[in-house]
Amino acid sequence: MAMEPSILTSRWKIPDAHRIDVAMKHGAWATLPAALKMAPGEITQVVKDSGLRGRGGAGFPTGVKWGFVPPPEKRNGKPVYLVCNADESEPGTFKDRYLMWKDPHMFLEGIVISAYAIGAKAAYIYLRGEFGFVRRRVDEAIAEARAKGFIGRNILGSGVDVEVYTHLGAGAYICGEETALLSSLEGKKGQPKLKPPFPAVEGAWRAPTIVNNVETMAAVTWIVGHGAAAYREFGTEKSPGTKLLSVSGHVLKPGVYEIDMGIPMMDFIMDTAGGLRPGRKLKAVVPGGSSVPIMTPDEVARATIDYESIHEVSGSYLGSGGMIVMDDTTDLAEGLANLLRFYAHESCGQCTPCREGTGWMFRILKRVKEGRATDVDLATLKNLADNIHSKTICFFGASAAMPVQSWLKKFPDEFFGRVHRTGKVGYADVGAEPPGGDKPGGTTQAAK
Amino acid sequence: MTDQAHNGEKVAWTEQELAEIEEIASRYPSRRSAMLPVLWMAQHKFGWLSLPVLELVAETVGVPPSEARAVASFYTMLKKKPTGRYVLQVCHTLSCALNGAEEIIRHIESKYDFDENGNTPDGLFTLERVECLASCGSGPMMQVGEHYYERLTPEKVDEILAGFESGEPLPTPRPEADEWQWNLQS
Amino acid sequence: MPTVKVNGIEVEVAPGTNMIEAARQAGVDIPHYCYHPHLPVAGNCRMCLVDVEAGGRGPDIACNMQARDGLAIRTDTDNVKRMRRSVMEFLLVNHPLDCPICDQAGECRLQDYYMEHGQHHSRLADEKITRTKRQDIGDLIILDADRCIACSRCVRFSDEVTKTGELRLFNRTDHTEIGVFPGTRLSHHYQGCLADICPVGALTNKDFRFQKRSWYLRAEPSVCDRCATGCNIDVDHDHGEVFRYRPRRNDAVNKSWMCDFGRLSYKRLAAEDRILTARGPEGAEGVDAVLAGLAAAVDAAARDHGDGSVGLVLGTRATNEANWAMLRALRAAVPGARVFLVEGNDPDAFDYTDDLLVHADKNPNTAGVRLIAEADGAVGDAEALRAALADGGLRLLLVLADDVLARLGEVRRPEALAFFGTWANATSEAARWVLPLAAAQEVEGSFTNFQGRVQRLQPAIPAAGDSRPGQVLAAGLARALGEDALPAGAAGVFHDLAANVPAFFGLSLAGLGAEGALVHREPPTEQVAPPDTRPAP
Repeated sequence: MAMEPSILTSRWKIPDAHRIDVAMKHGAWATLPAALKMAPGEITQVVKDSGLRGRGGAGFPTGVKWGFVPPPEKRNGKPVYLVCNADESEPGTFKDRYLMWKDPHMFLEGIVISAYAIGAKAAYIYLRGEFGFVRRRVDEAIAEARAKGFIGRNILGSGVDVEVYTHLGAGAYICGEETALLSSLEGKKGQPKLKPPFPAVEGAWRAPTIVNNVETMAAVTWIVGHGAAAYREFGTEKSPGTKLLSVSGHVLKPGVYEIDMGIPMMDFIMDTAGGLRPGRKLKAVVPGGSSVPIMTPDEVARATIDYESIHEVSGSYLGSGGMIVMDDTTDLAEGLANLLRFYAHESCGQCTPCREGTGWMFRILKRVKEGRATDVDLATLKNLADNIHSKTICFFGASAAMPVQSWLKKFPDEFFGRVHRTGKVGYADVGAEPPGGDKPGGTTQAAK
Repeated sequence: MTDQAHNGEKVAWTEQELAEIEEIASRYPSRRSAMLPVLWMAQHKFGWLSLPVLELVAETVGVPPSEARAVASFYTMLKKKPTGRYVLQVCHTLSCALNGAEEIIRHIESKYDFDENGNTPDGLFTLERVECLASCGSGPMMQVGEHYYERLTPEKVDEILAGFESGEPLPTPRPEADEWQWNLQS
Repeated sequence: MPTVKVNGIEVEVAPGTNMIEAARQAGVDIPHYCYHPHLPVAGNCRMCLVDVEAGGRGPDIACNMQARDGLAIRTDTDNVKRMRRSVMEFLLVNHPLDCPICDQAGECRLQDYYMEHGQHHSRLADEKITRTKRQDIGDLIILDADRCIACSRCVRFSDEVTKTGELRLFNRTDHTEIGVFPGTRLSHHYQGCLADICPVGALTNKDFRFQKRSWYLRAEPSVCDRCATGCNIDVDHDHGEVFRYRPRRNDAVNKSWMCDFGRLSYKRLAAEDRILTARGPEGAEGVDAVLAGLAAAVDAAARDHGDGSVGLVLGTRATNEANWAMLRALRAAVPGARVFLVEGNDPDAFDYTDDLLVHADKNPNTAGVRLIAEADGAVGDAEALRAALADGGLRLLLVLADDVLARLGEVRRPEALAFFGTWANATSEAARWVLPLAAAQEVEGSFTNFQGRVQRLQPAIPAAGDSRPGQVLAAGLARALGEDALPAGAAGVFHDLAANVPAFFGLSLAGLGAEGALVHREPPTEQVAPPDTRPAP
């Protein structure tokens, strides 16, 4: 297996790398002076050329996103804002916390460079409320960088001003959604905004705003420092670069890993992440944070870790790179009920299908888990998920629907085995492949 | 508004706090963006966000009281009821659940009498089930104050809680488990 | 002007039009809860989800979709039907379904849309989430949070229209609950609008609730007469008994709103102080007998003391037609009669003014009467009337609608006073002749609001008691004075008015239109003949 790359994590092994003096001995803030000599458009072009895709979960090309900021003459005199999404709350994801904790200067440098590239004089780092301790560290790093002239007015004598502030949330998963994050930053309930308008045109305080993830900002530092071509030496054609994975669940070495995109998923789980406990078999993997569809062992065996392969092989997504590994001891009905409790608890309550539907799906799953449901409930569950997916203001609806749809589709026995069979509902009614001979009326008994 | 009682105290900012609020407000193009920071300050100062406290926050930020309450009601970390001195927030989302979060919660529940609001009668503890805290690789885990206690076992929980019972202060905030260091050893 | 297609029907709409409005113009109704034409778009109810055939990606919500060339949507697909059914189902999951005891029944969008778009067997096997019922949150409003569908219309109304911000959706998830800050109440004077815009039974109007099931009511268009704004209203009545006023949409005047003072003024139609019969020196008599007695007195005064001993005070609370007909009648019989206009508010006016709708002038037609007075050229003001009364030369004064004695304060009273009015007041008390003037909601005619907008009145209900429209009383007086050639009927009087008052040149009563018509600020130099809309004899 190829050696693990270390471009975003290069300083993580160095003791006290969060201190600027230590970090600078190992290359921190060395990219900024060169970047300030480039035209903003040149930086955007380098990021575009690198093919960097947003690392928060959606995977949208970062340089393209920056390109949506209207030119100064079309901004009605409004400033541009950069907002760094450090809300990291997708279950299974914890890489940004590590990144900010181990090497805050890496992403701070990227923030200043990115702000300069898009013409923002102020950048806000929105951290989830539980990250109070992370915020302290980032604030210390900002103060250090300010003292060195990397942040603030007239950075390094260039005439460029970039202020960087941290802003603490207060406990709401939805604030990881970029428009909800902006509502929260504006001091409101963290509820997503209607699109259009998109944030790049009308975001925070109705001004053009770019929202980028922590890891994305760190990657910008490396890309601008080393060039797009060097970055493309990692990863695949369509998924260039490295990716931070957060691995949890039933593996022996859970944690954060930086990988070269395109490596086989099974090898990563079984080797890098330490594999399963002795005697256990792989049951399922959620590869990109709890919202993405689940993968079967067969799919895991065929997939490589990059945006395209995961989707082609399994219909799932790389997402945030939060990989949850489940072995054969896992009760998937219990697991899905657990996730839907999460979504029912986190729905912002704004739009109808999500507000009412997530709680409803959870209540049904609770009954399934407790053995108080019928197969008709499973069909209802699947239908509710379909009725929520893509009918809502933001992507949260789909995020709650995809687990339901995919877990039922790929592991129907886990659910049919837990309910009273009325015979009115078959596997097809929950979107699953009927096992040999199954027809509505359900002649095949689920394994139990 | 500011002279209403809250836990028997006067609900008002000190001069120093007011100066701090002004500094915070100056970071944003709109004063109401200081809402969450001011709610946090209020919670730290008053312990929880009673109605008089919310009225103070609303007045400070320049919004109707209903708005301060709506915002406070949206976020789980903002407390609308009094809590114990140590709020034990145990994550029970999938990754932690796969590694025994329920066992940890049951263990804590067996140690004390928690009322319907999750508080112990002596006011020392509040037990809360919380959703994912981005510590999935080091679960089961709980947050107390700003500190993450990770890779919990019932024995470890006993040790931590005994410390709190004996009046031990909260540790310097930081994540406890350092997975990356752990990885390095391999 | 973008051209869009709705279900294949092409329609050209104004730039900035959203697709709910564009569809309406194409004759297609798109169901919606949260969208309101006079509130910011929230997009939360999802009832207006439509398929996008061309020019975009769908399904998407029509309320947040701006019309642009090439955009084509469909509302008649199976997918749209499914989405509507699904949204209905979600809305009802935690709704109490207490329709039998809910006063919104009959005008509830949950009911209406369920019949049209929902209707399937219930799949809900779990307990409903409940919220706080029956909260008294304002002088006019009862809140039942359990029925709320969280559309946020009332929140946006509080934020954007009254700017008081009392209402909020608290919490999140399906525990979202509408309410006010504990211990506070609604503080504004547009509370009734909250009940109007609430699409369900969460916010109901205390004054109306449980008074009448809405399906017994008929709505007739009219105009509010409680201030110079002239909010357009629907008069909801059951066989002439009025149960409420509701604002009727007029984007140029009151959008979809009206104040609570105006809203509750329907009670004045059947109030105890209403003047329902004619009264002369001998007590109650028929209208014609009282008019005959008054006419005789007018003749006698003019004969014995000269034309200048007879006077008329125009009425800022009466219609253009009442004023013009009275002026014409008196001037025809007594050319030298003195005419006055006394501006001011009567004691029965409510004491509240704001920048939203409630004008400081509490009379519905001050602007119209001013224009008539201006055209007449010989109308005196309050000071002139005071002087004329002080020297005793003015012996017989006819007063139209306004409580002139109260407006003048301490003043020498004329020897004889006639009052043409709707409600008893100081002037009617002092009058020798009292003629019952029908209320604005009972008559054909027009008011000119403070903007100079002439708005049409049509009888929403029959005139109470013996009361008659001003132009009818004026015609009766004219006949009694021997003047038979004057125009009669509201349309005829307005036609005559429009031919003689320059600001009204070119207008006709029937041609005023739904938004009314503005008078000419700078009167045209040449007279424009109004179209003759009078029915052929």
